[in-house]
Amino acid sequence: MALINGGHLVGKYLKEVEKIDTVFGISGGHIEAMLDGFTEYKIRTIDVRHEQAAAMMAHATSIYTGKPGVCFLTAGPGFANALTGIANAYLDNAPMVILCGRHPLRDDLKGALQEIKQMDIVKPITKWSATCFDIKRIPEYLSITFRQAVEGRPGPAFLELPPDILSIKVEESLVPMPIRTTRKYTMHPDDDDLKSAAEIINNAKKPLFLGGSGVGLSACSDSFRQFIEKTGIPFVLMNYGRGELPDDHPNSVMDIGSIGLMFGIGQTDVIIAAGIRFNWILQAIVIPPTVKVVRMDIDPHEIDRNRMADAGLVGDIGSVLEQLTPLVQKKDHSEWIKTLKAAGYSVMDYEIRMRETPSDPIHPIRLVSQIQKFVGEDAMYVVDGGDTSYFGLGFSTNQKAGVMAASSGLFGCLGTGIPFGIAAKLARPDKKVVVLNGDGSFGFNAMEFDTMVRHNIPVVCVINNDCAWGMIKHSQELSIGKDRLQCSELGTRHYEKMVEGLGGHGEFVTEDEEIIPALKRAFDSGKPACINVMTDPSVTSPATPLFYQSLKME
Amino acid sequence: MRFTSLLFILSQILKWASKFKPAYRSYIGSIHQVKIMIKTADGKRGRLFIFDEGTVSSKSGANHRYDAAIVWSDASTGFKVMASKSDEEQFKAAAAGKMKLDGMAFFAQWFNDGVKLVM
Repeated sequence: MALINGGHLVGKYLKEVEKIDTVFGISGGHIEAMLDGFTEYKIRTIDVRHEQAAAMMAHATSIYTGKPGVCFLTAGPGFANALTGIANAYLDNAPMVILCGRHPLRDDLKGALQEIKQMDIVKPITKWSATCFDIKRIPEYLSITFRQAVEGRPGPAFLELPPDILSIKVEESLVPMPIRTTRKYTMHPDDDDLKSAAEIINNAKKPLFLGGSGVGLSACSDSFRQFIEKTGIPFVLMNYGRGELPDDHPNSVMDIGSIGLMFGIGQTDVIIAAGIRFNWILQAIVIPPTVKVVRMDIDPHEIDRNRMADAGLVGDIGSVLEQLTPLVQKKDHSEWIKTLKAAGYSVMDYEIRMRETPSDPIHPIRLVSQIQKFVGEDAMYVVDGGDTSYFGLGFSTNQKAGVMAASSGLFGCLGTGIPFGIAAKLARPDKKVVVLNGDGSFGFNAMEFDTMVRHNIPVVCVINNDCAWGMIKHSQELSIGKDRLQCSELGTRHYEKMVEGLGGHGEFVTEDEEIIPALKRAFDSGKPACINVMTDPSVTSPATPLFYQSLKME
Repeated sequence: MRFTSLLFILSQILKWASKFKPAYRSYIGSIHQVKIMIKTADGKRGRLFIFDEGTVSSKSGANHRYDAAIVWSDASTGFKVMASKSDEEQFKAAAAGKMKLDGMAFFAQWFNDGVKLVM
């Protein structure tokens, strides 16, 4: 007879069934048995300095590895601290698993330590949530939690585990581990819809493929490549779809940027939108009513959202493309691609010049260009901030999910950069990882440099320091005037000194020619590094007036 | 000459629209100090459009500071494409390198979208 406690059952399930090797969180009394379960089953714990970062790391891990990232939270404040990260994952449809302690069931309604109604709070920001009340059902509940996170449209799944079941023991043979389901449930688009979509695509003269997170979450590089190379259609990949085909693919028009895209989209005759929501961000790119739209999404509610589709295909993007590709004709749209790119370069003329020209003070786009020049395409980039995200999305990569700007998602969640950078380095330790942070957004999770130092995770964070909440400041200049700025300026701060104090490497850069030597020293140090670069505070990105316009109520 | 005249007429239309055309007034809103230049690449001809708290004003000449500029390779192309009021013609001009944007490209797009409301 062998006894096992509930916390060890959690560790056993994670390791043996889901093959989870790393989890993120902070310790706490309510989850002590679970922490010991991680030790017992040799699961690496990345203990962070704020649970928000743990949730963001689990979220990012799900994107970088293609399987659910896991975070663990203790009751009350530990739970509450993670809410921003959970909400962000929810709006991003990230398949993450949250394992959370709670006050003892035994002490319910008695004013127990950290007693709050966690389930009521978390329900609106998770795809699925439940409390497990029986130690024998822990593996079963965990299995449901993981399935809920990944099946259909993905999302965060939350399991509350009371100490009443984590800290007691049960005969191990009475709690068998469930066998993880291997069946893949695929929604099949209607045959008529497939024919209709193929007909639109076959008749297109100036088509464009817009791929979003659904492309990345489907991990459909092969079927996507076959579709693109058969149809000859130019493509743009956004969000977690970025890098599913490399930016330098002949059909990629990533280099015309969002400005080139806004300018060119009106000249298309067919848009194929795959795994991408037509939300406020995409609505800024106005698609004229004359343009036919073929939409693909795993969620049928997205097909006609904010724009009626001319053909709608419901299903996993990879599966839909596999079914659609045999129905489309082989075409050559190379002249159209050439024209679209040429027009895009003309409207990007200023940015292209700024990339190539040394500037004093340093222009943020020049900073991006110099980082790219030194680090190259075989690297992972994470960008975080308002204006900084716009500029950082100009990085080019040959890596899947190689340029991530989680802060420019639906939740607009600043502070995601460093947690995503840590997750990127853990997922792909052989790649250089660069986080480009705004100075404002850096502040949210800057203490995670301590996490990086303790766990030896050498990420290089470059701060695009304009001494302000730049997007807000420049938006206020447009809306209320330069003489009435409020809560938008930060001043010059030596963030690199803070990182040095934590045991990392620091660099302070004010001149263009110092950027690349500072990057070299930072990478050569082998430590987590912060390069604090003072950039031109007067520069406004095109994202700022877009943001301003989106909130204009006149 | 025709290009310069076209820019002057456009400035008068936008000034009028900012006062009397509700859709345009609403579109430009109360935005503070946005300056859009339309000019030729050689800098010999141009006009600045200034949007400030619901008003539109204008200055002739290409030597003013601006937030965004629509730069035409030559006056003849600028006139021809602008007079056509065609997005497709503008796209073709950009693809041929005859129209470029300088500075805050988004504002140039914003300006063009506003012009569509009054033309």
